[in-house]
Amino acid sequence: MFYRRAGIRHLDYRHERQLWPLPFDRLLVGVVVALLLAAPFLVDRLYLVAYLLPWLIWSSAALGLNLLMGGAGQIHLGYGAVMAIGAYTGVHLVRLGAPLELAMLAGGLASALIGVIFGFAALRVKSLYLAMATIAMQYIVDFGITHIPGVSGGGMASIAVPPVRFLGVRIEGDLPTYYMALLVCAIIAMFMLNVGRSALGRALAAIRERDYAAEIIGIDTFKFKLLAFWTSSFIGGVVGSVLVVCYLRSVSPEQFHLDLSVQLLAMVIVGGLGSVLGSFFGAALVLFAPIVFDNLIGYGADRLGISLGADLRAHLPLMLYGALIIAFLVIEPLGLAKIYDNVRNYFLVWPFRTARR
Amino acid sequence: MKLNRRTFVAGTAATALIGLRPAFAADEKIVRFGMPQDFTKIYTFVTAEYSQGQRDYFSLINARGGVGGYKIVADVSDHANDLPRAIEAYERLKREGMVLVDPLSTPVARALVSRALEDKVNLVTAFSGRSDAADGSVFPYVMPLSPNYWTQAGLIVDFFRQQDKDLKGKKIVLVHIDTPFGKEPIPIFQALSQKLGYTFETFPYTPPGNDQAAIWPQVRRAKPDWVVFWGAGVGQTTALSEAIRNGIPMDRMSSSVWLSESDMDVVGKEAAKGVIKFEPCAGGRSPKVVADILKEVAGKGAGAGPEGKIGTAYYNYGVMMGAIMTEGVRVAAAKAPDGPVTGPWLNEGLTSITDFTAEGLLPAMTVTKEDHQGGGKGRIARWDGAKFVPQTDWFSANQDVVWAEIKKSAETFKTTGK
Repeated sequence: MFYRRAGIRHLDYRHERQLWPLPFDRLLVGVVVALLLAAPFLVDRLYLVAYLLPWLIWSSAALGLNLLMGGAGQIHLGYGAVMAIGAYTGVHLVRLGAPLELAMLAGGLASALIGVIFGFAALRVKSLYLAMATIAMQYIVDFGITHIPGVSGGGMASIAVPPVRFLGVRIEGDLPTYYMALLVCAIIAMFMLNVGRSALGRALAAIRERDYAAEIIGIDTFKFKLLAFWTSSFIGGVVGSVLVVCYLRSVSPEQFHLDLSVQLLAMVIVGGLGSVLGSFFGAALVLFAPIVFDNLIGYGADRLGISLGADLRAHLPLMLYGALIIAFLVIEPLGLAKIYDNVRNYFLVWPFRTARR
Repeated sequence: MKLNRRTFVAGTAATALIGLRPAFAADEKIVRFGMPQDFTKIYTFVTAEYSQGQRDYFSLINARGGVGGYKIVADVSDHANDLPRAIEAYERLKREGMVLVDPLSTPVARALVSRALEDKVNLVTAFSGRSDAADGSVFPYVMPLSPNYWTQAGLIVDFFRQQDKDLKGKKIVLVHIDTPFGKEPIPIFQALSQKLGYTFETFPYTPPGNDQAAIWPQVRRAKPDWVVFWGAGVGQTTALSEAIRNGIPMDRMSSSVWLSESDMDVVGKEAAKGVIKFEPCAGGRSPKVVADILKEVAGKGAGAGPEGKIGTAYYNYGVMMGAIMTEGVRVAAAKAPDGPVTGPWLNEGLTSITDFTAEGLLPAMTVTKEDHQGGGKGRIARWDGAKFVPQTDWFSANQDVVWAEIKKSAETFKTTGK
């Protein structure tokens, strides 16, 4: 049905390799982009500041992590720390008078530098051992931040973000923060979409599948593993700055603890390893399923006059959320993006039953 | 599998489509409080007891016809100490007209400070958040409304002084969780050691504090005269168990507000006999408000939780905070009976609370536009194996040192945002 492939002829390689060869895909992307651009005028303020904004930011972070985990197959349990380095570098530089654009890039570079140091572990160890090495990074960075008053901001360990401008626009209020996050997210998403069809992306995919096989076919695994850590950490650092500037408005150590790393890891896995779309789906599910369930149960209990005990009332949403994640992964182990893909494949050949890619 | 998937998609879609706005009677005059708190992550049973106390108090007031013509609606939800969830709850409740939010979590309170100051929503940070928010001239909408950690440290040291007559040459050690919260009281202990002549040492343990085996032998070797242990949740019970194992005398150990009967169940009621803590309000069921709740709310089956928890330390903290907020509404309604109910309206009331004791539950409390702490009074109580027994009358001490620190820190916030 919708995804009509009749009449599409590839006359050269460039044409064949375009991102969205099907007109319907292009239309869909166009509609989603238009909706996101128009969102501040379409949806209630609550949904803009409390749903869309964090969704864009967390999706950007998940995309960065996905490059490393889905793209290069290197597990990272300290991505929150990577973001913290970027956030703190960015905020301190802004406070010293640097323009936000530069501070964000510098935050990214600082994250990339420190990230790549821990990335060296990836040259020696794999999978679970690498997970341990990156968890160590999380704790070392946490410790460093809380114990250096110059970094954390002293006794209260909280630093407010001063008024900033981004590309000439003052970042305050709902619209500028939203559009700034949207712009950064769009840039990262475009990068991620394109990286898969670049030499870097192919080299990373080869390493992901089997690194010694990659070595045999002439890929410098040393270089590309570090490059993956570098790029992914850079994105994390930039998103860290966006997170504190656009959303949290102040920076303190507990915002970047292991919880955040695990949350991002869950987004990537539930969404779909290596999938751009999946990062967005995963971020939405992990961020909002507990909130939606909590609101629904509160609303339902109010409406139906059921009095739930405080404990049950608080834990029921989490039980449902856990069940939902398990259910999604049982139905489709490859993540939410694959569920979308299945639907798309179904319509691709509809009314026939088997999809041939 | 196909059917499952379809049901699944339909179910998810239905979840997304149902409207989330609860309905309330439109003709009643209400004041809306937001209570997104952490029921599931770190504070768990602390929040459960605290929230139960708060809700029972509001039920009591509403059943008696409200206060100043207003009914109190408290919207309780779980933010699990997660910032996106807390900010969502804050923004959602703000849309519904919330004039006061009580997140009972330091990270969340910190993240909400700039929003609350901007939106003019009263952010209650009782026993959490920034200690320097006691300075109302810098933080007009951040309301600790309770003795902050610096005051607690000041009162605890003064109790030591009362016991020993003179602290000169004595040694006080602070065993604390190694987080900003754990390090918060250090400046006060240091300033007072200069003044009173005791030596002061700190022993940090790594968060969350469920393993402190390495630190307590060091504490024992330091031969302290007094030990203050500073943590929350699991860190507190672990600290007590380790102290008992290392033979540190219980009657020389003191906690901040974060110690309750439930902790004693874990440690062992007999073993922890003698340990002392700071008390911001009376415990037990004897205070009149708590007795009233037992009779008029729990007695009629309208209690918010298990009846056995009524009168525990954290339950009474909840009642205390509920009573202070309600008193704020009463004063606000006395000043401007017809509202409109807004953040500034309630702020007027909260900052004009004078000599409020909640019928003997708490020490006389006076909040002003400058002093959001409410005077900084409290008392010291000792665990006698079954309950906490007050050792002092309500008192206040070392407020000069505390306020110097508050002013210094608030000034830093004002000029640098730190």
